[in-house]
Amino acid sequence: MATTYGATSSAPKRTMSSTSSVATGIARTKILLLGQRRSGKTSINEVLFNALPPKQTFYLETTMRIVKHTYDTVIPLEIWDCPGNITVDTLGAPLSQFSALIFVIDIRDLYKQPISKLVEFIVAAYHDNPQIHVEIFVHKAEKLQEDDKIENFRQIQERVQDHLMERECEQMPYNFHLTSVYDHSLHEAFSKVLHKLIHSLPFLEDLLNVFCANSQSPKAFLFDAASRLYVATDASPVDSATHNLCCDYLSMLNAFGPLYRSPTSSATRLRIPAAEPSPDNPTPAETKDRFYPSAAASLHPSAPGTTLTYHSITPHLALLALVPTGVYEGRRGLLEYNVVFFREGVQEICAVEHEARGGSG
Amino acid sequence: MKKKVLLMGASGSGKTSMRSLIFSNNPASLTSRLGATIDVEQNHVRFLGDLILNLWDCGGQDAFMDSYLTTQRSTIFQHVGVLIYVFDVETAEMHKDLEYYRDCLDGLRQFSPEAAVFLLVHKMDLVRDRGAMFERKKKELMEHSEKGQGPVLTSITVFGTSIYDESLYRAWSSIVHTLIPNAAVLSKHLTIFAEACSATEVVLFERTTFLVIATSAAPPAAALEATRYERTSELIKAFKHSCSRVREEFHALEMELPEFSAVLDEMTKNTYVLIIVHDPTIETAALKLNIRMARRKFEVLQGLA
Repeated sequence: MATTYGATSSAPKRTMSSTSSVATGIARTKILLLGQRRSGKTSINEVLFNALPPKQTFYLETTMRIVKHTYDTVIPLEIWDCPGNITVDTLGAPLSQFSALIFVIDIRDLYKQPISKLVEFIVAAYHDNPQIHVEIFVHKAEKLQEDDKIENFRQIQERVQDHLMERECEQMPYNFHLTSVYDHSLHEAFSKVLHKLIHSLPFLEDLLNVFCANSQSPKAFLFDAASRLYVATDASPVDSATHNLCCDYLSMLNAFGPLYRSPTSSATRLRIPAAEPSPDNPTPAETKDRFYPSAAASLHPSAPGTTLTYHSITPHLALLALVPTGVYEGRRGLLEYNVVFFREGVQEICAVEHEARGGSG
Repeated sequence: MKKKVLLMGASGSGKTSMRSLIFSNNPASLTSRLGATIDVEQNHVRFLGDLILNLWDCGGQDAFMDSYLTTQRSTIFQHVGVLIYVFDVETAEMHKDLEYYRDCLDGLRQFSPEAAVFLLVHKMDLVRDRGAMFERKKKELMEHSEKGQGPVLTSITVFGTSIYDESLYRAWSSIVHTLIPNAAVLSKHLTIFAEACSATEVVLFERTTFLVIATSAAPPAAALEATRYERTSELIKAFKHSCSRVREEFHALEMELPEFSAVLDEMTKNTYVLIIVHDPTIETAALKLNIRMARRKFEVLQGLA
């Protein structure tokens, strides 16, 4: 653990180099959301960061001008939701400012126009900022049947490659993701984009690896609780089904909270009210955390079952882990001891990150 | 004890969809795969220990409806505990629906005048101003219900429902509540149990459907969210479905959230209990112990022991 803490000190230098203009407050990592009109850019943003039910995206208004959404998670994000007719020239900001470019393309748009526009942006982006991550979301996957879906996805990839070949830019790195707001594919794809933007990711992953190894956990995720994007996971491969289950579990817990909220007792629940200040400590006693929110769902009634644990780590982040039920029930104290260490590590990383970005306090 | 539940309404109004959601744990997104119901599909659902729901899902095409009202009249309308009549909120043929509905009420008056009637204005997710639309439909339906001759039916209740939100669970919880013989006794014991746990509230759910069977007496400062029971049913059912997709089975849940602590665990072999505690000094492990201690009593109450 000590070596991990030491290693975090290298993080600020890396993040500082990527901050361009610290005008006000903290430097945010910027993500550009591009795509044709009605390709689903605003839907993606609303479903992920404003908890809009997917069925309601139908009623969203067309975006007429660039809207900048800020979102705070392990790193502060600024997402630029652009109208469909935007070009490199009308963007009003150099592409070098952005850490990632997400191009959203409707899976049914096999035609020339959206693809050539996409290629235009890719080429311009690499010209201005070779470090930029280009991610292509082939979106609205739910609109097509399984076979057509794969076929269209393949064709769009092929056409983009052909266009880039013509421009002699085929060696540029970019990634394709098949997404839909109606299932977990959007969360998974956006999580993968997010991972590339988190400079402290290796340290978070190390902490998770240590946690898993010491808790007999086959899989653990560090989630951003509100958006249900996973910020980091341990080294074992991510199995979609497990990811989806954790995602659903988190959404259930998020929904449960407000259901039985009592207006009277909430205030004193989380914090022990400040006791009488001790004589040897003249400063006003800080209120102490009574507990960190946590939850556990046990699956399979029989003995070798799995328990899905949830532990709040920071106000934004939560640790979700699969733990054998035997371990959870028999050695819960040790498990929670591990969580405390994990929490301290993550909080330290977040503090360093916050400081490096010029946040106060 | 067997209770007969008639599920009727026009073809395509959503009868089989809601049945598959409530009783088979299928998600709303898969209901489009269901085919039309031919004639009557009978299901026996063991609900609580000694209560068996005999669910008659009656296909709604005109030819079937005509035969229910004529040749099969006595078979269909005899010994009915509950009639659930489903109306599609966006139907183009409201007049015809109402006509069949009135005929069914006549049949019920003739053979089972004691039956409770529930009217579900379904597919409410399709309309934008739900409140106003529901009030209008409710008024229309109540007016038509009074038109027939013969004895006045004891209870007619109207619900606006949709398979995409908790409203369906609200309606069905209230339907099964009328069928449970000892609901008041369960409620009384849940209140005692809640006191023993220092709990704000205790809710008892049926195991497979997760419909609310009984709750402890309303907490004194009853400022909790009004739709909490049906929302809980919906959330747990959705999570159970997520678990089944990874071939796991949901068993129990404990939570210490910023807002409250809760334990959801098996009470008897066909019920689940949810204990909600707001006092931060109560440990979930203590609640689990209390559930284990109370299990025997609730088995006796349900006639299982």
